[in-house]
Amino acid sequence: MKEEFLEILTNYQGILHKVNRIYFRNESDRKDNFQEIIYQLWKSFPKLQNKDSIGSWIYAVSINTSISKMKKEKRIEYSDNLPESMDPIDPIEKMSLNENFQWLLKAIYKLNEIDKSIMLLYLEEKSYDEISQIIGISKSNVGVRINRAKEILKQNLNHLNYGN
Amino acid sequence: METNELQNIWKNIDTEINLKSKDELNQLLSEKIKKTINKFLYITGFSISVCVGLIIFLVITALNRQNDIFYQLNNLALGLITFISLFFSLLSWRKLQNNKYNQPLKDWLEKRISLLSVWLTGRYSKLHLFMIPILYILIVLSIHVYFEHKSFIEVMKTEESIVGLIVGTPIGLFIAFFGTRKIRKYHLKNLEYLKEMHGLLCNVY
Repeated sequence: MKEEFLEILTNYQGILHKVNRIYFRNESDRKDNFQEIIYQLWKSFPKLQNKDSIGSWIYAVSINTSISKMKKEKRIEYSDNLPESMDPIDPIEKMSLNENFQWLLKAIYKLNEIDKSIMLLYLEEKSYDEISQIIGISKSNVGVRINRAKEILKQNLNHLNYGN
Repeated sequence: METNELQNIWKNIDTEINLKSKDELNQLLSEKIKKTINKFLYITGFSISVCVGLIIFLVITALNRQNDIFYQLNNLALGLITFISLFFSLLSWRKLQNNKYNQPLKDWLEKRISLLSVWLTGRYSKLHLFMIPILYILIVLSIHVYFEHKSFIEVMKTEESIVGLIVGTPIGLFIAFFGTRKIRKYHLKNLEYLKEMHGLLCNVY
């Protein structure tokens, strides 16, 4: 069973990194949370019945675990500084390559915890149906929230661009 | 800015991710499992030590003070309350640890809120206000009477014991309530946070 689990985890670990990225700005928090998510996935793996919805299962566990960790740590920061990078690439090189991405990430950090998760799923091009299943709200509610979060995100992006 | 543009910008995250190998993931999982098992062993180990220590103390006192009925009753009450409290504490801790994350965020939040609400604001949430003073007095009496080498009634009649009880009880209770309040405050803060998250999820502004 562990071998199968590790195989799935290896293939889907991108989800864990992405959820981690939007919730935690600090490298050591991300490391702790990454390990916690793996453990929570392992704990619930025997109960995973529908192997077709592995992605949704991983998203749900990752989001719930991250929100739970944020509750414990309460490290919600709303700083206007650029977010910390995930790896030791030269920051100047990174800015020229991914400047828009860094601004987007910065704008996402300004969203509340719930909108962050909905926006992540939207950016990952998940259908309303999938988002509704992962978050547990109706499809129409998902639509309303995405539109609103997009507006906030755009405002934040404009504000950040003009403000700097 | 078009919405598709946001999704395109987001795709840059793939260049930032350092994927881990299967062995690295396995190592992370094994480390976490080990840590969790150790935590479980510490907590159960501590609980078992308290139980064993208390049983030994109660057996010794029961054998040495067979004719002191009030002392026996005091210790019986002490033993019962301690074991029941310990049992329910471990049960609650286990329930909290068995929290299932593999469900939609809204369901997870609701279950967690309901669990914490029962403990913190439910019918028996104020029980500790009565149990702590009772348990404290029973423990103090049990130890004090035993080392005084007198019967329970005799000890209770001495001025020294009464003064000691009057002076010592508020200090001991203050420490006990201070600790309990801190734990309670921590969990209440968690409950508040979860309710806030649930509110954010349910209120379509």
